[in-house]
Amino acid sequence: MVRFILKRTGYMLVTFYIVLTLTFLSMKLLPGTPFKQAQKLTPQQLNTLKSYYGLNDPIPVQYVRYVWNFIHGDMGGSFQYGNEPVTDFLFARFPISLQLGINAMIVGTVLGILLGIVAGINRGKSLDWGSTMVAIIGVSIPSFVLAAILQFFFSVYWRIFPVAGWGGFMYQALPTLALAIGVTAQVARFMRTEMVEVLNQDYIVTAQAKGLSRATVIYKHAVRNAMIPVITIVPPMTAAVVTGSLVIENIFNIPGIGSQFVDSIVTNDYPMIMGTTELYALLYIVSLLVVDILYQLVDPRMRVTGGKA
Amino acid sequence: MDKILEVKDLNVIFHIFKADVQAVRGVNFELNKGETLAIVGESGSGKSVTSKAIMGLIPNPPGEITKGSSILFEGKDLVNYTEKQMEKVRGKEISMIFQDPMTALNPTMKIGKQIMEGLVKHQGMSKQDARNRAIELLKLVGIPKPEQRVDEYPHQFSGGMRQRVVIAIALACNPKILIADEPTTALDVTIQAQILDLMRDLQKKTGTAIVLITHDLGVVANMAQRVAVMYGGKVVETGLIDEIFYNPKHPYTWGLLSSMPKLHAKMDKLLAIPGSPPDLADPPKGCPFAARCPYAMKVCTNHMPEYTELSATQKAACWLLDERAPKVAPPETIGVGGNQNG
Repeated sequence: MVRFILKRTGYMLVTFYIVLTLTFLSMKLLPGTPFKQAQKLTPQQLNTLKSYYGLNDPIPVQYVRYVWNFIHGDMGGSFQYGNEPVTDFLFARFPISLQLGINAMIVGTVLGILLGIVAGINRGKSLDWGSTMVAIIGVSIPSFVLAAILQFFFSVYWRIFPVAGWGGFMYQALPTLALAIGVTAQVARFMRTEMVEVLNQDYIVTAQAKGLSRATVIYKHAVRNAMIPVITIVPPMTAAVVTGSLVIENIFNIPGIGSQFVDSIVTNDYPMIMGTTELYALLYIVSLLVVDILYQLVDPRMRVTGGKA
Repeated sequence: MDKILEVKDLNVIFHIFKADVQAVRGVNFELNKGETLAIVGESGSGKSVTSKAIMGLIPNPPGEITKGSSILFEGKDLVNYTEKQMEKVRGKEISMIFQDPMTALNPTMKIGKQIMEGLVKHQGMSKQDARNRAIELLKLVGIPKPEQRVDEYPHQFSGGMRQRVVIAIALACNPKILIADEPTTALDVTIQAQILDLMRDLQKKTGTAIVLITHDLGVVANMAQRVAVMYGGKVVETGLIDEIFYNPKHPYTWGLLSSMPKLHAKMDKLLAIPGSPPDLADPPKGCPFAARCPYAMKVCTNHMPEYTELSATQKAACWLLDERAPKVAPPETIGVGGNQNG
């Protein structure tokens, strides 16, 4: 297992290096300059600025410098925020996005799995239809529409939660819910399909033939096997939710990473764009490793060590 | 002999979209303590549905055991049992072995745990006791190094070994009846013989009565004392093994015996019964075999024959046995001799 993780970590580093290179190269292809009101600057001033940021050097030199600095934990300074180090910026804002994303994933996955189980074991009955409806609604309504609805009822009408801002549980509840509903829907649909499939397997009949109660059969034999494929979608979804909460962060005025990312793109803030992109890439790559590790934990057939087969 | 199981007029209907499939139509048979009864017949004759009905594992809906059916286990009618009551019968009083050992075990649960579940549930054993018993059972069914293998997963076992595990699970609580639904069909021939030997040995040790469901007459000859031949959801002939093999009376039984490959006879090709089994969504009024029967008469298509008692142990449902019917001798191809088991 340790060897497997080390090997995979090696592959991950290679993947990440490729992403880093591609990000750097695509930055060089972006039109425009990072400097505001560049048209008002004289060519000399522009030139001075460019050479200050090292943008006049040949691209290979810039590239080697970027990679070298990156290895030493320096991702450069932001152009738009007075040269503030990108790393500081990410460290300050990313945890907030991460917290929100993880909240939503936990709520969404748990609800989704429960709904999926209920639907799967009641296939074709009203409970199945009910939970399928919830899933369809969850997939169909965009999170920002849901966010506005939640804000209207919970904040304006009933005044339970604050409209916007960031802080403890009270602030986190609504954005978490708004993000979680889509996750719930996807996980529920997936889980339902798997439950239906697993409940038709021969080993379920074997379990029943042992005289186990229906609850035991479902809980111990069906759910665990049905969850294996679900596990594969959750970590990449986490990466997507953590990075994709941009709209929600805007609506609830949450100082996360998402909204700043858009600003960086608009202003050609190269180090900032690269830093954020690389963070997202890293998150995704790590999530895939997590999938493989989880897979081995829940499915003995996937284990690379410990078994003879 | 003591009857332990008596199936009377069992009818099972599956309510499928736009049709009611009558999978089992008035099946009667009984099982004595400690004996092996073989139920033979081709695919779709209702063998497996009958066995699932005994276990109370017919999914409802779409399946339904109709009123008037009864399955008497030690005199108590299992048809009237609630789900909770059935849980106490399954695995404890009546167990089942399934056809395909590759899919019959939970892939994500250790072998030992799968054996232990029934012991903990039915005998209230502690985990440690159940584990020890599981190791004992694995040894009993002939799995080497049981102390080690008890903690392994199904994918680490071969097909034959898995079937041994399935048997261990079924026998865990010393059931009075073991239903084996084509236990060797999915295994290759050498392993088949091993599994059958094992089942016979275990039966000697435990005295469990076995209902052996199969379409392989070689297996029947090896294992059973009595045979019930099923066709089209009905038992068409039943008798002691010698009666069925040496003095069969029903043309379908003749067909089955003829279609069995013979070891010593020179044969250019295998004999088959032409045609296919009846559509049980719209079963024939008369004898289900009439359409394929070379001896069929007018009466056969319109009226189901009653059973004719041929001896204290053998009876068959065929119009040829009526005193008004012409005398027909069984075809020579049924000839059974030598060892039929591969």
